[in-house]
Amino acid sequence: MVWTRPRDPESLPCVLHRRRIYVLPTRFGMFYAVLLFVMLLGSLNYNNNPALLLGLMLAGAGLASLVAAQMQLSGLELVAVDAEPVAAGTPLGVRLYARAAPGRVRRGLRLDDDGSFDAAPGILNLDRGSGESQLLLPTQQRGWFDLPKLRLSTTRPLGLARAWAYVWPESPLLVYPAPEANGPPLPAGHGDRVQARVHPTGDDVHHLRGYRTGDARRAIAWKPSARRDTLLVREFEQPIGAEVVLDWREIAGIGYEARIARLARWIDEAEREGRRYQLRLPGHAALGPDRGPQHRHACLRALALMPHG
Amino acid sequence: MADPATPALDPRTRRWVLLSAGACLLPLLLQLPLLIAVTIAVSAVAVVAMSWRQPLHGLVRLLLSVALIATVLAMSDFSIGRDTGCALLAAMLAIKPSETFSLRDARSLLGFALFAPFATFLLDQGPLSLALGLAATLLALAALQLLADVESGDVRRDASPMQRIAGTARLLALGLPLALAAFWLFPRLGSPLWGIPERAMASTGLSDRMSPGDWIDLMGDDRPALRARFFGPVPAPSQMYWRGPVMWDFDGRTWRQPRWMPGWTETAVEPGPQRWDYEIEMEPTDRRQLVALDLLISAPGGSELDPDHNLQSLTQLTGVSRWRMQSAPPRRYEASLSAETRQYALRLPPNFNPRTLALARQWRLEAGPSADGAIVTRALDWIRRDFAYTLETPLAGRNSVDEFLFDQRAGFCQHFSSSFVVLMRGAGIPARVVTGYAGGYRNSVGGYWLVRRSDAHAWAEVWLRGRGWVRVDPTAAVAPERIYDTLDDRRSVAGGLLDGFAGGRSLIDVGDWLRRGWNDFVLGFDANRQQRLLRPFGIDRLDDRTLVLLLMLAVALGLLWMVWFSRRNEREPDPVLRAWHGLTRRYRHLGLERAPDEPAGRWVERVAAARPELAGELRILSDRFSDWRYADGEPGGRSTRALTQALRAHRPSPRNGNNG
Repeated sequence: MVWTRPRDPESLPCVLHRRRIYVLPTRFGMFYAVLLFVMLLGSLNYNNNPALLLGLMLAGAGLASLVAAQMQLSGLELVAVDAEPVAAGTPLGVRLYARAAPGRVRRGLRLDDDGSFDAAPGILNLDRGSGESQLLLPTQQRGWFDLPKLRLSTTRPLGLARAWAYVWPESPLLVYPAPEANGPPLPAGHGDRVQARVHPTGDDVHHLRGYRTGDARRAIAWKPSARRDTLLVREFEQPIGAEVVLDWREIAGIGYEARIARLARWIDEAEREGRRYQLRLPGHAALGPDRGPQHRHACLRALALMPHG
Repeated sequence: MADPATPALDPRTRRWVLLSAGACLLPLLLQLPLLIAVTIAVSAVAVVAMSWRQPLHGLVRLLLSVALIATVLAMSDFSIGRDTGCALLAAMLAIKPSETFSLRDARSLLGFALFAPFATFLLDQGPLSLALGLAATLLALAALQLLADVESGDVRRDASPMQRIAGTARLLALGLPLALAAFWLFPRLGSPLWGIPERAMASTGLSDRMSPGDWIDLMGDDRPALRARFFGPVPAPSQMYWRGPVMWDFDGRTWRQPRWMPGWTETAVEPGPQRWDYEIEMEPTDRRQLVALDLLISAPGGSELDPDHNLQSLTQLTGVSRWRMQSAPPRRYEASLSAETRQYALRLPPNFNPRTLALARQWRLEAGPSADGAIVTRALDWIRRDFAYTLETPLAGRNSVDEFLFDQRAGFCQHFSSSFVVLMRGAGIPARVVTGYAGGYRNSVGGYWLVRRSDAHAWAEVWLRGRGWVRVDPTAAVAPERIYDTLDDRRSVAGGLLDGFAGGRSLIDVGDWLRRGWNDFVLGFDANRQQRLLRPFGIDRLDDRTLVLLLMLAVALGLLWMVWFSRRNEREPDPVLRAWHGLTRRYRHLGLERAPDEPAGRWVERVAAARPELAGELRILSDRFSDWRYADGEPGGRSTRALTQALRAHRPSPRNGNNG
């Protein structure tokens, strides 16, 4: 059974059947139709056959353009939808991959959403038989992203009619939690092994950075701060490979979502500093210790999918 | 005003749009009166130049529009009609570019521009208008296509203009069968919904009046006036007088047709033994004037005959019209003249042309009271001896006939006929001026006769006792070759363009023959022809319901054709593969259609598992197909064609045979 409009998300790949393609005149198409009507009426009234023939030829070309518009979409195969996960609040670049059998010109295909996001449309180019188009959709909250129905449309060849088809891919697109904007630094490394490797005097200053709430008082570099009129904090060099444990339970005093945001931030920070980290979440086996994109994704995914509190 | 919601045009697209709008405007301008056309063209160029970089200020635009529209209205004398409407459309098209900077503006400009070729066809249906109109339509559609590309954001910089036009031409070609079918079948209006306004500017043609000098334009107009096809005998060139308006009233300067009152008795004509049976095809003139060979026997349906045998249609000849006629040179034409008519045919304006009247009276005295024939002969002799034919004549003064007969002694048909009739009336012989066409040119390709507007002619008729009205052509006495000769003879005298090669003449013939075919199949197609359309198929009368049904059928077929043709490129070119795909599709209703990625062997096994009784034949076919496709041809050397046929012939039985 082919539905004209998808009622539920469908799994890709799917082929756009002609029965799920809508073709309706654009406003310009209506204007063109009125124009042709006046022409036909005028030429019939004056019994003017060349004018009638011209009007009918324009009407024929218009109808042919309707058919051509539908043919642009019909038989198009939508292969997949994906998106690099982004943090909530950042636009999600949803990419749609499509391909088509050769032999038919498919040009000027626009990809946009069903109007719920008002995103800038993307262009699908199928010159080499396949192509992709990207749509930037704004994200608000972490977790699975509810992809809206996507609309693939075209007004080619004459702009008289818009042919469009909805596709609602069932596709797990993840939105990471938004990291905390300002927060304490990574918790100190865990266990004696790590601590032991730090220079006992703590003078092994790597660099100074701005004060963030939650920084230990003893870490503040008073003398440089006085010179700069702002609080600076010593950041001690941590040896590569020093493991850090990011534990949900050890963060206290802030709200549920704020904890998630802090953990997300720490994960990014640990990645940036090249440290191995372990994420412990309630009701979840500990992830890591490890580092690298895979591990980061696993951790952020676990955070993103934390039940909404 | 550029709408912020619609995207702005880039300069290249804008140039395209303006160019195609200009192309649409061109054929319309060619049909407008010269002064109006030049005004509009100059304004259009100026507006485009002024608004090349940025839109004109709103106030300037408003002033420009008001000024141009007022000018055009003033130039067409504030008459509201088709011509003024066309001129106004052209004027608006000329101003519109000043505000065309967004996609939506461009589309509305092109929409109105498409109206221009249409308006052109209302004014003229000649080949030049048609060719220009078609080219302009193509350009405008190509510009629309470009705009659709702009809208989708997918503008190919590499697509050449020719490619764009080819793409549009393809759309037109796809729609053409539908357009043609609809053209033949579209229900025609028996009578117009609203009145047909007269053309404000009369085109040259036969007129109901004749004043000195106003025929010069006509003599230089080589456009066709009519075409005639004869069934049976064809008149000799010297007999080809196409009778038009007959002029009786003369005011010293202008000859006029009389206004015949209803109830005027018909004149008695005794036709001679000769008969000409023919059909004429009149080019549109926007008048009612018809012509017929001298002398028509009876008026064809839809026309009426004046007492002086001037034929008029009952409706305006806005399109090509066909008239079947029979004519015969008369033996006696109105043998007895009533005193009233005689008086009418002798009237002269007082105090004009004294020298001519003196000469006429002198001739009458010398010839005696009943020697009308002798006076006619004497006048013709004099003209033949002392006069010359020329198209270059000075402007006539007050006594135009005197000046012609005694001073210039050179002129063309208008002068000869007019002076001759005045001379005759002065001598007491009833006489009148007959206008029409003389001669014709035989198109050897189409086997018909072509009469051009430049064949317009004026001659005289005098009433002689016992014979009635007799045609006298004083011009023929001077220059018969100017009257009867065909157009191409005149061309070669003048050293025409096409004399250089021998094929010139037949080229002209073929051109006119094509033109006539167009007239026949397109211009002259009306409700009556439509009624007769399906007679060859056994349908005698098309009632409206049948017509609409046929039209709907044609539209449906046209749409199917479009879909079929659009998909044609995607058909599998290999017949064997196509047959194989067809075969696998026939298993759909059994739920056993082959999946696109399923190998033939595996599919056959799947079918065999579900319907073992079908598997035998299918397996053989599948093996043959696999051998053909993947081995070197079929074993046993059976041909591709045999395999294709076998694949096509295979039909899975819908029911399981065992279960009945």
